[in-house]
Amino acid sequence: MSEFERRLAAYLATQLSGASGVEVTGLERIHGGASRETSRFVLRYVLGGRPHQRRLILRRDPPGSLIETDRRVEFAAYRAFHGSAVPVPEALWLEEDPAPLDHPFFIMEELAGLESNFQALLTPPYLPLRTKIGERKWSILGEIARADPGKLGLVGLMEPIEPEACWRRELEAWEKVLDEDELEPQPIIRAVIRWLRRHPPPPPQQIRVVHGDYRTGNFLFDSEGEIRAILDWEMAHLGDPLEDLAWGINPVWQWSRDGLAGSLLPKADAIRIWEAASGLRADPNALRWWELFSCVKGQGIWVSGGREYQGGANHDPVLGLSSWMMGNAQDRAALSLMGQLP
Amino acid sequence: MKPDAGQVVERVTQSLLGEIAPTVEPSYRQASVSMQAMLLVAVREEMDRAAARRVEENAALRALFAQGAPLVPDAALRERLSSAADARDPSLLVPELEAANQALRALLIELHTAVEVLEGTAARDLDAAIWRELAASTERRKLSVAPF
Repeated sequence: MSEFERRLAAYLATQLSGASGVEVTGLERIHGGASRETSRFVLRYVLGGRPHQRRLILRRDPPGSLIETDRRVEFAAYRAFHGSAVPVPEALWLEEDPAPLDHPFFIMEELAGLESNFQALLTPPYLPLRTKIGERKWSILGEIARADPGKLGLVGLMEPIEPEACWRRELEAWEKVLDEDELEPQPIIRAVIRWLRRHPPPPPQQIRVVHGDYRTGNFLFDSEGEIRAILDWEMAHLGDPLEDLAWGINPVWQWSRDGLAGSLLPKADAIRIWEAASGLRADPNALRWWELFSCVKGQGIWVSGGREYQGGANHDPVLGLSSWMMGNAQDRAALSLMGQLP
Repeated sequence: MKPDAGQVVERVTQSLLGEIAPTVEPSYRQASVSMQAMLLVAVREEMDRAAARRVEENAALRALFAQGAPLVPDAALRERLSSAADARDPSLLVPELEAANQALRALLIELHTAVEVLEGTAARDLDAAIWRELAASTERRKLSVAPF
């Protein structure tokens, strides 16, 4: 075991009551969301005289990231949806004290042998499965929108919000991110923000759990086209479920460059499937407001990453590339939704 | 200066992708090296156009300010627009062009904010011209690897 693996094993020994021989091996950093350092490892221990082995994921706070989020909420969201119609990995331990591993972290089960990379969808064997994956993607999102946050036990953990306040809270939060983190003026997104303020959406039909980053790339799928886990709940909150639908169909996720929402399905099909699964209606005007808002949020994420990279707080090249490439794509998406892209 | 700087960047990119990345372990670090190469692809695209796109854009913005200054009721903003419209880029050095560009883009936000609430044909024409310039600004910055 490396020193870090020994420290992780020592922590886990305190969590596994009655276990002996706790051992961590094979710790390996993997790509897994933009807000936490993600690593896989194998845990072995003896309990009740029997050996046990589990493949697990460590999600540890980094010094800087694309998104500053509450790990407690992310952990709670995984726990709340585990075993429901929304597939998620089992979340096991949350540690907010930085002492054991220098930064707060949580641990969950690893679902091995699955794919999450959106680039994989553009080539065989996954290319022919895009329609099936797309149908499942927006059907599961509909299940998230259908679920009662109170019955999930998330109301006390997530910040409460009145229906009339949903749009303003989100817009102000992401405008603040831009105010604090932008490295250059953002005339397109600022114009969008002014438009959004002049044309507020109707209140949501229901206050629901909003995943916050529900997009192609943030779920695990298998070679049969089945989605096995929804990941990256770090921006989960209570709000208007249209926010998630709008984020998922944002043009910047069209890596396939064929106009398909999330590189998977025509936008109209995605909306229809979501409506059927959620039992909610996607009012076109309200959805357009949230689609434009998603461009503000997206640009907030890209400029924050750019600041982290330029300032040296985080050297992950994805932050620099996202700030350039996705920042430009986000501006173009905003122009398109405003009807201003030739 | 030969070899061309752009070709040097291309060679480094090819080396990272074809020779170095495949030998790097674990997979996270391999992906990181590939991502660094993608950054260089973007740098390569930006190198050739860096000065030209800023010169073009700064001129376009100054033309909008010249068009907009007479329409703006706020005297202080009108004065700043006129001053910016008459200014010239200090040199062709990219950092100086960039500093001028950022100041002009910040002023564009003020002009756009003022114009979009004005009535009349001239204001509407200017608003449309601003949107056209904003669309053009994204074309100038577009990268070939972008999804949209």
